[in-house]
Amino acid sequence: MAACQVKFMPESRTIEVEEGTSLVKAAAQAGIYIKSGCGAKGSCGACRVIVLGGEPEVRATGKLTPEDIARGVRLSCQTFVHGDVTVEVPPESRLQEHQVLMEDVQKGGLLQETEQDLLDKFSLHPLSTKVRVKLSEPTLTENASDWARLQLELRRVLAAGAKGVEIPLSVLQTLPEALRQAQWDVSVTLSEGEDKYTVVRVEKGNDRPPYGLAIDIGTTTVVVYLVDLSNGRVVDKQGTYNKQAKFGDDVISRIVYAVDAPGNLQEIQRAVIDTINSLTEQILSRQKLEPDDLGAGVAAGNTTMTQLFLGVDPRYVRLEPYIPTMNGVPPLKAKEIGLKMLSEGLVQCFPSVASYVGGDIVSGTMVTDMANSEEIVLFIDIGTNGEIVLGNQDWLVSCACSAGPCFEGGGILFGMRAMPGAIERVYIDPDSLDVTFKVVGRILPVGICGSGLVDALAKLREAGIIDRAGNFQMEHPSHSERLRLTPDDKEFVLAWAHQAGGDKDVVITENDVKNLIRAKGAIYAGIRSLLTMVAVDVDMISRIVIAGGFGNYLNVHDSVEIGLLPDVPAERYEFIGNSSVKGARLALLSQNAWHEAAELGKKMTYIELSVGTTFMDEFVSALFLPHTDLSLFPSVIS
Amino acid sequence: MPVTLVKERFPSKVGEVVLGATAEQGGTRTSTIVVGGDNLLPFLHFEGKVTNRPVIAMEVTDIVPPWNDAIKAQFGDVLDNPAAWAQKCVNEFGADLIYLKLIGADPEGFNRSPEDCARVVKEVLAAVGVPLVVVGCENAEKDNEVLAAVAEAGAGENLLVGLAEQDNYKSITAAAMVHKHNVIARSPLDINICKQLNILINEMGLPLNRIVIDPMIGGLGFGIEYAYSIMERARLGALANDKMLSMPMICTVGYEANRSKEANASVEEFPGWGDLAERGVLWETLTATALLQVGASILLMRNPEAVKLVQRNIADLVDAAVGA
Repeated sequence: MAACQVKFMPESRTIEVEEGTSLVKAAAQAGIYIKSGCGAKGSCGACRVIVLGGEPEVRATGKLTPEDIARGVRLSCQTFVHGDVTVEVPPESRLQEHQVLMEDVQKGGLLQETEQDLLDKFSLHPLSTKVRVKLSEPTLTENASDWARLQLELRRVLAAGAKGVEIPLSVLQTLPEALRQAQWDVSVTLSEGEDKYTVVRVEKGNDRPPYGLAIDIGTTTVVVYLVDLSNGRVVDKQGTYNKQAKFGDDVISRIVYAVDAPGNLQEIQRAVIDTINSLTEQILSRQKLEPDDLGAGVAAGNTTMTQLFLGVDPRYVRLEPYIPTMNGVPPLKAKEIGLKMLSEGLVQCFPSVASYVGGDIVSGTMVTDMANSEEIVLFIDIGTNGEIVLGNQDWLVSCACSAGPCFEGGGILFGMRAMPGAIERVYIDPDSLDVTFKVVGRILPVGICGSGLVDALAKLREAGIIDRAGNFQMEHPSHSERLRLTPDDKEFVLAWAHQAGGDKDVVITENDVKNLIRAKGAIYAGIRSLLTMVAVDVDMISRIVIAGGFGNYLNVHDSVEIGLLPDVPAERYEFIGNSSVKGARLALLSQNAWHEAAELGKKMTYIELSVGTTFMDEFVSALFLPHTDLSLFPSVIS
Repeated sequence: MPVTLVKERFPSKVGEVVLGATAEQGGTRTSTIVVGGDNLLPFLHFEGKVTNRPVIAMEVTDIVPPWNDAIKAQFGDVLDNPAAWAQKCVNEFGADLIYLKLIGADPEGFNRSPEDCARVVKEVLAAVGVPLVVVGCENAEKDNEVLAAVAEAGAGENLLVGLAEQDNYKSITAAAMVHKHNVIARSPLDINICKQLNILINEMGLPLNRIVIDPMIGGLGFGIEYAYSIMERARLGALANDKMLSMPMICTVGYEANRSKEANASVEEFPGWGDLAERGVLWETLTATALLQVGASILLMRNPEAVKLVQRNIADLVDAAVGA
């Protein structure tokens, strides 16, 4: 079919679409969202546009009056591109995204990820450095060995002092040719440990900076940052689903699989290494770099993920009394586990606290800086497990509750990670049930991510589409076609297929809602249990730091409204996004940070929620919007 | 040394619910009943005041019920006439209320129409002066129709209608709101669902003092201790000012106690168990008295002999309060 130009006014935005595309769909492709109450059936009349030029094909005019038609008004869902067209989209036909954004900002409840950099505090002193040295050529009289010559010069340049400078065999094997081909002008990459430097690469002299990888190994998603170790800058980042997902959604089913048959442990280890390597490859090819440019890596993951990453049998993590094989992990070389990096490159893993509070939380706790705070801070990492840390400079307690992968998009029909195409904000008009949404990357929506789900749950409730128990109310006074019954479930249409990037309506089902209520209930119950056990009242907490990969925003207002987070003033909240990978970056860049992480791991007291009935009691009370104890949510009820 | 009793003071009390309406109040009842209102654990009169005594609602069904003969015989020939039966309960057995159960509406059984059910309610209202509890046949869809008709037919009488449950509370609540009745909120022995349901009903606009909790119970030997602890938890919640747990409770004693084999098997079948007539009475009585101890405000009862014993028990418990 022929391509046609469609120009949208007053933006003057022109796009090219195939002939026969509906105007509403063309507008969506141009980033202009037009209202649609009826799902492009031509019956509601909300999607009026004015055709200013061209002869589009009109299949129906619905309720439009002859006067309207005479002045060019058309229903954009029933009008199809035929030749080039110019169309005006009047304000009343547009979904008003900006109004909604403003509204939330005024409520003070919408937090964007904060980017405070603790690197200043820790000082730049990366785990891997690169130096350029020019050696004098050996002669018959100046006949020290290649390595002695290099070592001497490195000691001088690095001001190594009491620290040793070592070289492993594999680098030594390449040394004579490397030095001579480079005509004695070489760049040397070294990793730095507690008491020694280790040469990991010798190459022709250049001024390219050393790079490293900060890796967050999540149960559901894996994120890799490429970091320039000379200045701390994050050059590139990439995330994807953990390939281990095919062996189960949560750590328990992964462990079960890993120990089920011989070879499974290796297979499941391979899966996560492959995940990381494929992310690394994508980044490297974008940045035109080689694996050999990556001199160091720091990985943070929960205890099970760390054990699987290292190929350490995780079975006792699952079995009472839940004992991990190790908390601290010795320094590794990339080649030992097959990471796509410099093979001799240093890889460090964050230490764990207990079987269900892992290195990712130690990493996140470091990012919150709570261990240096006089006042009490609450840190909540919302992932597949909800992990919670409470304390200040004098004490830290932690616990974990199994929330499931909902907020990362798992177990939700149209759930997805917070990546381009994910609906991240939702607004539902309580009268008409029309939906306004914001999509990551401003492209057509294909699914919904964690922050969008938090929003959706709150808005479904506000609009009376679900009751406080999460049941769909099919007799909604709007009689909206968005609320419908399918053979499998009850569902609500967030985005009609013609506004979406796929060919299906993007919906949220009653089952999704129930899963979300269980997930939010588990997290809130974990918070309450921990507070109860240390007898701290929520009002005594000065700062609540939320982490998690569920989106670019945290809508505090909606999170409180659904009972995910405690009802305290929004000013006390802070959202730091993926704290695990951020902590990994810090540790990669600063020896001080790495040492603090090791200390933090030892300092945290772990509280096992499965002992006693507190957690279970709290959990069942929290399976309601916001909670069965309404006195905990005064701002929601009044 | 004199002993000082440690007295517990609670910040709140069980809410009061008024049932029935006299002529001045827009109804035709000769008396009304108030339940709830206590600010103490049941009958610990040294700590507070027993405000309203527990009451007995005797069970009447719209069709002849499938009960055992030991019970049926005590009612004589009125079982096929709900109005006469209700009269007998009030006049002869001293029932405080009538609990009219419209089992004839069951689509699997007689499948009586909502109009027929409404007519029975009117007949019973005309026959007795006490307030009325009306419940459906426990078929959700049918009950929604039946209870809407009942609520309309009983407009002004301030009935207690049921059963609103987690999956089916809307139409009955709506009907009660329109015609100004009270609602029984039933939850399956679960304090959280109990609370959730009260919140859901309240959010529809029905005031909290128009809700009575049916926590569901087990009869003696069939989980009564579980019911006891759930009810205790609700009572403590009410006293601790949890408004969503502060409604008075109704317990379906007659139904649960008489479901057991122990309340129905003859002495010939189990010679060691003793005479059925006496055993059935005691089974129901003990179920009722145990639940009185944990704060039941309304007891649904069936066996007139058991009613007599429980009336005495209530009098003893309340008089003790007066005596103190």
